[in-house]
Amino acid sequence: MNACPERIVHLMHDYLDGEISREHELELKSHLQSCFDCQAHMHELSDVVAFVKGAAHVEAPGYFTESVMARLPKEKSHAGFSR
Amino acid sequence: MDALVNKRVKQVLKGDKDAFAEIVDLYQHRLFQVCYRMLGNRHEAEDIAQEAFVRAFINIHTFDQKRKFSTWLYRIATNLCIDRIRKKKPDYFLDAEVKGTEGLNMYSQIAASDDLPEEELMKLELQDRIQYEISRLPDKYRTAIVLKYMEELSLQEISEILELPLGTVKTRIHRGREALRKQLSKQPHYL
Repeated sequence: MNACPERIVHLMHDYLDGEISREHELELKSHLQSCFDCQAHMHELSDVVAFVKGAAHVEAPGYFTESVMARLPKEKSHAGFSR
Repeated sequence: MDALVNKRVKQVLKGDKDAFAEIVDLYQHRLFQVCYRMLGNRHEAEDIAQEAFVRAFINIHTFDQKRKFSTWLYRIATNLCIDRIRKKKPDYFLDAEVKGTEGLNMYSQIAASDDLPEEELMKLELQDRIQYEISRLPDKYRTAIVLKYMEELSLQEISEILELPLGTVKTRIHRGREALRKQLSKQPHYL
C-alpha cells in the first residue's frame, strides 16, 4: 500500500464524508479495483463507520430536568442584561 | 422547533425561569448522550450535562438568537467535557511529542498503556466495546467522531460547535476514523 499515493486515502475519506466529486469517485473506484491493499483499507474504514454507528442511543435519567432546575441560581440576576 | 426555542429563550430573558425547563426537556437527551460518549460514564455525564444547562441559563443573554440554540448548547457541553477529560489526565502536556518518537505523543503512550488484554476485549459486549474504543481516541478526534456519528450532525454544524474551520473538522474526523481502524484491526474479530 505504501506505493499508492496518499491521495487515494484522502479520496476514501472524502467518499465517506459524502463529499466526493463524480470524477474523484471514478478515480477511487478504478484504483480500488486494481489494488487489493487499498480495497482492504477502504473496507476497514467502512467497517469503522458501521461500528461507531452501532452505538445505542442513550437517554438522560427521568429526573434530569428537575435536577437542572434545582441547580439553577436561586434568584435570577437581572442586572446583567437590564442595564 | 427553532421558533419555539427562541420563544422560550425570550421568556427566560424576561425572567420566566419555568420556560427554561422546557428548553432542558427538549435537549436533555442529546446533551446527555454527547457527554456520556465523551466521558464514558453515566454519573459524570449527568453532572456535566446538568452543568452545561446551568451555564446556558446563566449566560443566556449572550446567546445570539439568529443562530441555532442547539449549536450553542453543544459548544458549552463539549467544552465542559474536554475540560473534565483534561483535568483527569496527569499534568504533563498531552499534545507534546515524545522525544525521539516521531508522530507519537502522550496520547498514544496512554492509549498503549491502557490496552486491555485480548481475552478481556473479547469478553466485552458490543456496546461496551464501542465505548471503550471511542474513549481511547485523543479528545480532539473523539469530539468530532461523537458529534458526527453519534449525534449525527453535519460537518458544517460540527465546525460551528467547535468553532473550527470546516477543513480542520474534516481532518479530525479522518484521523479519528484512521485511529479507530488501527485500534480495531488489532482485533480481527471486529473487522
